[in-house]
Amino acid sequence: MHSTARTILAGFVLVCTQAAVAADQPVEVRDPTYAKVCSYCHDKGIGPAIVGRQLPTVYIENVVRHGFRAMPSFRPTEIDNAALASVARWVSESAAAKK
Amino acid sequence: MNTPQPNVLPKGVSASDFELALTEIRAIVGADHVLAEGTALAPYNKIMMAVPDEQHAPSAAVMPANVEQVQAIMRVLNQRRIPVYPISTGKNLGYGSAAPVERGQLVMDLRRMNRILDVDAELCTALVEPGVTYQQLYDYLQEKKLPLWFSCPTPSVIAGPLGNMVDRGVGYTPYGEHFLFSSGMEVVLADGEVLRTGMGSMPGSNTWQVFKWGYGPTLDGIFTQSNYGIVTKMGMWLMPAPPDYRPFLIQYPEDTDITKIVDALRPLRIAMVIPNAVVIAHTLWEAPCTKVNRADYHPGPGAISDEAVQKIRKDHNLGAWNVYAALYGTPETNAANWKIIEAVAAATGGTLITESADQGGRATQYRFDLMKGKPNLGEFDLYNWRGGGGSMWFAPVSQAKGSETLKQMQLAKGILAKYGFDYVGEFIVGWRDMHHVIDLLYDRSDAEEMKKAYACFDELLQAFAREGYGVYRASTAFAEKVAATYGPVKRDVERRLKRALDPNNIIAPGRCGISL
Repeated sequence: MHSTARTILAGFVLVCTQAAVAADQPVEVRDPTYAKVCSYCHDKGIGPAIVGRQLPTVYIENVVRHGFRAMPSFRPTEIDNAALASVARWVSESAAAKK
Repeated sequence: MNTPQPNVLPKGVSASDFELALTEIRAIVGADHVLAEGTALAPYNKIMMAVPDEQHAPSAAVMPANVEQVQAIMRVLNQRRIPVYPISTGKNLGYGSAAPVERGQLVMDLRRMNRILDVDAELCTALVEPGVTYQQLYDYLQEKKLPLWFSCPTPSVIAGPLGNMVDRGVGYTPYGEHFLFSSGMEVVLADGEVLRTGMGSMPGSNTWQVFKWGYGPTLDGIFTQSNYGIVTKMGMWLMPAPPDYRPFLIQYPEDTDITKIVDALRPLRIAMVIPNAVVIAHTLWEAPCTKVNRADYHPGPGAISDEAVQKIRKDHNLGAWNVYAALYGTPETNAANWKIIEAVAAATGGTLITESADQGGRATQYRFDLMKGKPNLGEFDLYNWRGGGGSMWFAPVSQAKGSETLKQMQLAKGILAKYGFDYVGEFIVGWRDMHHVIDLLYDRSDAEEMKKAYACFDELLQAFAREGYGVYRASTAFAEKVAATYGPVKRDVERRLKRALDPNNIIAPGRCGISL
């Protein structure tokens, strides 16, 4: 009975591990802040699309820090100034998303 | 957006004394980690509540890197009597976000303290700092290939477990009552002393994250929804990923179906046939998250009509009520329990929908992800329903009885309609209770609408209190009014505790209505 229990448990762990390692992130190379924060709304039709619009970097940085309507603000402890400059530049220079 | 704000000072503190305190704090954390200029403080003043920004404007923000810095800052603030408002990830959206409960409080932003200190894969526990986000924890578990799940709330990508547990938030897996699945806190007190609750107080103990109670009074609860200390570490239990996960949706056609839904599901929830926090979402919660445009159905002012809601249901194949739940187990146990689910759906007139039958894009997908603790922001589509960035959660607690739910829904819907707002609500079945969560969505860029939203929330609160219904959580704008609904004795005890632990009243005075 003990060995049966161990076998079941081993199978349980194996199945769990397989489930947990399933690929989750898109392979497309993007700015890390965009991939980990912005994309959850701006690539999902929740917030407006912002890539491929040549939005000015100053505007992007301002919206991130102040928020805009329902968009939350993001503090330097969440997106530091260097990361903010990077994502603003990436969004500003990005091509429109492929359909 | 670029208008500089005038300098704001903490209540009762002179400009020169405040500057002296900031000088001392800069020496502790470094000048780069103190913000005291108007524009730089903008991210700490973005709120969704129906009150002016100025009411919740901070005087400054300090960003410590570790618990020793938190202690040193508290000694300065305690000596100089400067009120401080601690935040973790600061994403308590619709409850106050990162803004202080009272104007002029100094925000202590703990987001830099973002270490996952321990994950024990055998015991299924974690110990995290305040700045850890759910997404960060999710990525950590994926990278380490650990088959462990957690429960998260809807803003999970940017919010974190410590802050959510401290505010007694809820999620959607079998561990959905988050505070129930915490184990051990580290708390910095007003005088800079550090307390570890439960087994954490005992030198050399390795049971802090596995045994919640310790010896003597269990103190963890007094550090939730309160202002008695600053929580700098929290233990949490993780759930073994089940070999088989079967999420499902059951749709019901009529508003009045809620009574039979709840009465049919309650026994399954209490007996843990359905082990997770079941969500029963109304049409107007599903509609925005299915990309329905409100203006297509109701272009004018005022609350949307019942006829328009019916048309949305028909056009987009939504239920009046949409029940989300899941089975977690082995294929064999889930197969057995699935027969019960099918029988209950059939007996109650519900339409059962599974993942394979309804893929992608709709509300269903983010719900199915949330029920396995996979972070996303799918529910932010709610904010597009009215637009304008106004949102306040009205969240009364209900017994898990059908008759109670219909009564609460009708009471809320009537008051919301009076002020021109829609009933956007859901019930989250805890175990024997339900959190009836209503998003009061309004256009915050319209001053008149903002006033109406405030008045509406106030009436909801008072009307529900008259019926004996209290809310489980509330925004900082309504903290005082909500606390008042719970009666004088409780408040007096809370004040006595405050006097004992924070006699100078410097930690978030006013939070949850507690102040000296």
